[in-house]
Amino acid sequence: MPNLEQPVAAGQADPFLAEIQAYVATWHGIIVPNDPARRLAADLASTIKAFEAQRARLRFEDEPSSFEAALRDMKEGA
Amino acid sequence: MNTWSLTEAAEAVANRQVTAVDLLQSCLAAIDSHEAAINATIWIDREGAMQAAEAADRAVASEAPLGPLHGVPLAHKDMYYQAGKVSTCGSGIRGGWVADRTATVLDRLHQAGSITFAGLNMAEFAQNPTGHNSHHGDCHNPWNLPFITGGSSSGSGAAVAARFAFGALGSDTGGSIRLPASACGVTGLKPTQTRVSRAGVMPLSFSADNVGPLVRTARDCARVMSVIAGHDPADPTSAQEPVQDYEAGLSGDLRGVRIGLVSNPGLAGVDDAIVAAISAAADVLRQRGAVVVPVELPDMDAVAAYGGIISRCEGAAIHARWMRERPGDYAVHLSGRLYPGYAIPATYYIEALSARGPLLRSFCGTVFGGLDAIMLPTIPTVLPTLEATSMEIGQPGAEERFMAVSINTRPFNYLGLPAISIPCGFDPAGLPIGLQLVARPFAEARLLTLADAYQRDTRWHEALPPL
Repeated sequence: MPNLEQPVAAGQADPFLAEIQAYVATWHGIIVPNDPARRLAADLASTIKAFEAQRARLRFEDEPSSFEAALRDMKEGA
Repeated sequence: MNTWSLTEAAEAVANRQVTAVDLLQSCLAAIDSHEAAINATIWIDREGAMQAAEAADRAVASEAPLGPLHGVPLAHKDMYYQAGKVSTCGSGIRGGWVADRTATVLDRLHQAGSITFAGLNMAEFAQNPTGHNSHHGDCHNPWNLPFITGGSSSGSGAAVAARFAFGALGSDTGGSIRLPASACGVTGLKPTQTRVSRAGVMPLSFSADNVGPLVRTARDCARVMSVIAGHDPADPTSAQEPVQDYEAGLSGDLRGVRIGLVSNPGLAGVDDAIVAAISAAADVLRQRGAVVVPVELPDMDAVAAYGGIISRCEGAAIHARWMRERPGDYAVHLSGRLYPGYAIPATYYIEALSARGPLLRSFCGTVFGGLDAIMLPTIPTVLPTLEATSMEIGQPGAEERFMAVSINTRPFNYLGLPAISIPCGFDPAGLPIGLQLVARPFAEARLLTLADAYQRDTRWHEALPPL
């Protein structure tokens, strides 16, 4: 995980950020465009943390179109 | 006549109190006086609009059947396609891009008699909550020019507030209708996900994009929604649910209606002026007969975690080709925000989509089991300036202030719930404060009734910016 207290600038060695940059370049052919991109990519660590905090709260929904069905089912008077 | 609401203007044309040409000229006069300071428009079609207005007046004279928006000049966020015309989407990349089709919502508005005369400024590709735009210039708040308008429908909020148009379409993926409505002191409705067709509208995030109006009153919203809502074969994701006569339900009667006043720390309001305005709004609703009780919203951490994943992944996918081929043609803040989306695994994205239905059911069961609606600030803090939130000039803390603007609106995009923002006061800098009301899926009529009842007893929505 990166140290989010420190600014991440071009060329700075950050293993997490380096991993992200390599992944995005390999899978999408996209190069990190600027410093805000580096900072926000480094902040993916907090995205992962927030996402992982939800693990085991919900089981995977295996029915198709569940959101659209939920919209219909939850309307007033339904 | 520039103090009229959209519905008052439409009635005045129908009753021959005024002509469509008069209405258009009043809008163009306001633009000529104040556009240099506000920068709300990207293009204006004066000649085409005048021809349309003259045709509308001929139809009135010939006693032809008139639509509910006959002769009313509207301007829209510049991401609604019109066949053969440029739609910039607020970008440089699409600066000369010509659409090959017309958005269904524009077709419906035109069939109802309205006149589209301008394309409005917006965040680049609808991707920021403040109104910054490095290609077409930042849009400025008509109430206090150095401050943000809210975004991404910045020009829509500013243009309606400054009386450049009687109404405008915006789009809302994380708050982009409600935020400028709040910041500019107008009324803006984000409908239920799937309620309004998105065919011919620039996509930002397929799962969370919504089309809706920014206008002066709840009644105006009802009028526009009655025209644009409903299934569209060109958008298979649009709902088959029947469309209500939204205006018919505007009774002013709130007796027995139960409203939850959101009490979650942060969401309930951060600054004293905001908390006081929302509390005063609750009192107005109580005096109309509503029962207002505190409520704590559940699952907000989960909604934030999952909602952010979906919009970032979908936005990144839509922009992948340009991010490969011409990343330097985006604003720094936009390419910076798009980039992390390419690193999020597909399994996260699918899990976030999968959780959406269960979380909506849980939220509605818990919150709306005993309540008809909830209320909270649209923006929980006083408005920041454009400078303080500019990620282009690297102000310290700009990214945090930038994203904090939309913290109260984003949850309802993930949940797909309808939400309306109405003016409910002013902060110490003279900037409008917005009250957000949220209800069950497809309960737009409920929200409009609440908002209309509030506006019967208050005058915030009638205030004019000190231009």
